[in-house]
Amino acid sequence: MTYPPWLDDFLWTYQNVIHALGINGLLALSMYVVLAVGQLSLGQAAFMGLGAYSSALMTLKLHLPFFVVLPASCVVPALFALAIGVPTLRLSGVYLAIATIGLGEVLRAIYLNLDVLGGALGLSGIPQRTETWMIYLLLIVAIAVLWRVGHSRIGRAMEAMREDPNAAQVMGVNVQRYRLGALVASAVLAGVAGALGAHASNFIGPNEYGFEPAVTILSYALLGGIGTPFAPVLGAWILTLLPEVLRGFSDFRGVFNGLIIVLAVLFLPNGLLALRMKRRAA
Amino acid sequence: MRFSRVVAIPFVLASLATAARAEVPVGAIEILSGPNAAYGTSIKAGLDLALDTINKKGILDGQKIALTVEDSAGNKDQAINAARKLVGRDKVVAVIGPTLSNEMFAVGPVTNERRIPTVGTSTTANGITAIGDYIFRTSLPESDVIPVTLKKAQARGVKTIALMYANDDAFSKSGFDVMKAAAEKSGLKIVAIESFGSKDTDFSAQLTKIKGLKPDAIGISALVEPVSGVLLQARQLGFGKETQFIGGNGSNSPKLGEIAGAAADGLIVGSPWFIAKPDPISEKFVSDFQAKNGKSPDQFAAQAFDAMFIVAAAIDRAGAADSEKVRDALLKTNYSGVMGPFTFTSGRDPASTEGVVVLEMQGGKFGIAK
Amino acid sequence: MLSQQLVNGVLLGATYALFALGFTLMFGVLRVINLTYGFYFSAGAFIALFATRQWGFSIWLALPLAAIGSGLIAVLLDWLLLTRLRAKGAPELASLMVTLGAVLALYSAMTLLFGPDIRRLPPDVIGADALVFAGIRVTQAQFLVVGTTAVLVLALVALMRGTRLGVGIRAMAERPDAAELMGIDTARLAALVSFLSGFLAGAGGVLIGLNFNAIQPYMGEQMMLRGFVVIIVGGLGDLRGALIAGLLLGVIEVLTAGYLDSGLKEAVAFAILVAVLWTRPSGLFGQAVLRRA
Repeated sequence: MTYPPWLDDFLWTYQNVIHALGINGLLALSMYVVLAVGQLSLGQAAFMGLGAYSSALMTLKLHLPFFVVLPASCVVPALFALAIGVPTLRLSGVYLAIATIGLGEVLRAIYLNLDVLGGALGLSGIPQRTETWMIYLLLIVAIAVLWRVGHSRIGRAMEAMREDPNAAQVMGVNVQRYRLGALVASAVLAGVAGALGAHASNFIGPNEYGFEPAVTILSYALLGGIGTPFAPVLGAWILTLLPEVLRGFSDFRGVFNGLIIVLAVLFLPNGLLALRMKRRAA
Repeated sequence: MRFSRVVAIPFVLASLATAARAEVPVGAIEILSGPNAAYGTSIKAGLDLALDTINKKGILDGQKIALTVEDSAGNKDQAINAARKLVGRDKVVAVIGPTLSNEMFAVGPVTNERRIPTVGTSTTANGITAIGDYIFRTSLPESDVIPVTLKKAQARGVKTIALMYANDDAFSKSGFDVMKAAAEKSGLKIVAIESFGSKDTDFSAQLTKIKGLKPDAIGISALVEPVSGVLLQARQLGFGKETQFIGGNGSNSPKLGEIAGAAADGLIVGSPWFIAKPDPISEKFVSDFQAKNGKSPDQFAAQAFDAMFIVAAAIDRAGAADSEKVRDALLKTNYSGVMGPFTFTSGRDPASTEGVVVLEMQGGKFGIAK
Repeated sequence: MLSQQLVNGVLLGATYALFALGFTLMFGVLRVINLTYGFYFSAGAFIALFATRQWGFSIWLALPLAAIGSGLIAVLLDWLLLTRLRAKGAPELASLMVTLGAVLALYSAMTLLFGPDIRRLPPDVIGADALVFAGIRVTQAQFLVVGTTAVLVLALVALMRGTRLGVGIRAMAERPDAAELMGIDTARLAALVSFLSGFLAGAGGVLIGLNFNAIQPYMGEQMMLRGFVVIIVGGLGDLRGALIAGLLLGVIEVLTAGYLDSGLKEAVAFAILVAVLWTRPSGLFGQAVLRRA
């Protein structure tokens, strides 16, 4: 493919933003999956970190090709989700949220203390293997799959759980299994996003997967809403573009960013794309 | 796509070189917002002050430098976005910054890919200039400074040392690695290695443990805030004059005296520059800086001030706003500024460590250590 | 050395407990993860900074002023951000999100106003010399932290147990709808609880800023994660639990750093959090939500 120079320049200039939009979209979906079964897990950043670190090690130490590394990057996060899932998913609401924050911090401490992971220096010199099309292909596939699932029997069961888990259990929905499934799916999405991110920017460090990014990922889904899989992606896009649009305002940027979130929640309580919820309410 | 990009570069550069411009675009990426904004703000003040002088006279027969300073907020992604915007849209011929070594590890490969010379003024970690042929730094790496400091401590009779460092930021960790290697090399006995978080405020457990081991000295690699906290708490826990405190590059800031006050007295630190340096260029810089900003410059401002002149002079010598030529001109830098005489090694690091002086805190201010 | 380490642990734990008191109250009674809490902590410290530096107030005057000031800020922010959501019965996610946006804006605004630099209260507001008992050193600021924490806990427990107001607050914590039916003005009580938590946060900000000599806009943000650990381990809304959990956390962290590896300090703290949640989700000390105030 050849582009005219101005387009090539444009793509180069905004390459990182274009990548971030897709990757953050995947992260928003990873949040959406757990919110869709009524669980508030804040472990997405931790899953992303596991995906990023494990994939970077596979590339740097084992010299595996990217078409092996990328699918393999979801293995560690998925296993981690399975391992913590059973005790953690008994919790609900804020307890679950805080437990997952705690797990994320434990992982961060491990990254900082293990020399093979570079400690605070992180891992640098990761070759750029991520291509824009990979990110968007995966994003489209993820949206399509989640859309299909949402309109199937499983989707209705998930909706029932979100409304009232006890009633759903009585109606014969295996709530625990759905929750665990959602957590693993969430870990897979976040892990792949982490691997794509690590191979897009040469460098990863432990502080990219702590509390703050966890909250940022949550805000993608909350701003967009969880009516359909498109909604959280839209939320991610808005919150990814905002700092770039507001570039040059330095600390004013934080003020605007925060106020926009406040206003969105106060005046659009179901997120920006609340179509499905409204229809049901009507 | 990748291929066409390579083809596009000479085209863009050629169009840049031929276009008659009244201004030469130069970019800088610094932390101007968020918790670490103090460093970037100081650097920006140094750059701006230098620019006042440079643009009065102009370079390349009277052209002005148009400096665009982008905020990274200390965030890797925003630093990369800033670099791509500066290079791709603003067509800068050189980039100054970014502020933290972590950010340079992310930004360096991006600017290097587009062959834009990138000059770090505050990045002291190991491996910075190994990123690529277009990555320079004017800040002395810690590995050049710390051995000088340790030598001074040994001359004062220090034989055993405990090391403390912030284990969650790259700057402190890298400084610690250097400190540990230098201590081992110079024959000091390391009795303890303790870490803390860079946002921690309580260091009592680590200090109490060290106190039990009675080392002659404590070496601290961290940014100035936690170093101040360590010193204040050390005094509370009864560390006195008999313990020699040794700081890394992060301790080299007038803020140490402002925050820690008398608790910092006796700490020694190696520095390429200090505020009371008896040198006319440096004295003029300090008084100009104070007049413009209403506060005293720290080494970050001083290093940025010199770097701006070095970059401006390189563009001037290159004879055109052409990043390839600017890179070659930068390598031939022979400049004498606030920091003293300055040249680059072939590895694009500062060549001379002669300027390193060991400073000692006395009464909340740094002076030459005796 | 062990005795000094234990004292270090208790002193550190007292700062955690002090931070967590208002947090657990707000969390337990109002049932929202209110992320603005850390901001009241920073606000209190800055009010005291101005009172002492600009107006030359003594710490004894600056401390209550800062506490009351942040209490009022808390009432205002609660009214601006959360009353609407409470009235609509919006899900707790909405309150989490709105307070998240708000703190982002507030910290940034504070950095714009005051700059990101670390500051400290004037060194002469309190004596710097440590008192030495049997080789164990404690500073006057540390005494002040421990003393204030003890006084505040006693006062709060007395308030909750011995007054009509306290009964109302506890009723609201357990069954907000029933409390409303019983004729309790829940809106007014919510404002009062906000004031109390803001008051506690502000006092905590001043004392902890004084103790560690570090006041800057994001100081509250940096306490939030530890705050979560303390209020969960202690049980949401459980004041006595917060006190014990805070002290325990401080001692465990110090002992980890002193005898194991200082790099593992945080990991141990959060591993305890996760372990408690896995085994006793309502806190180490039984039922959550103020029943044991």
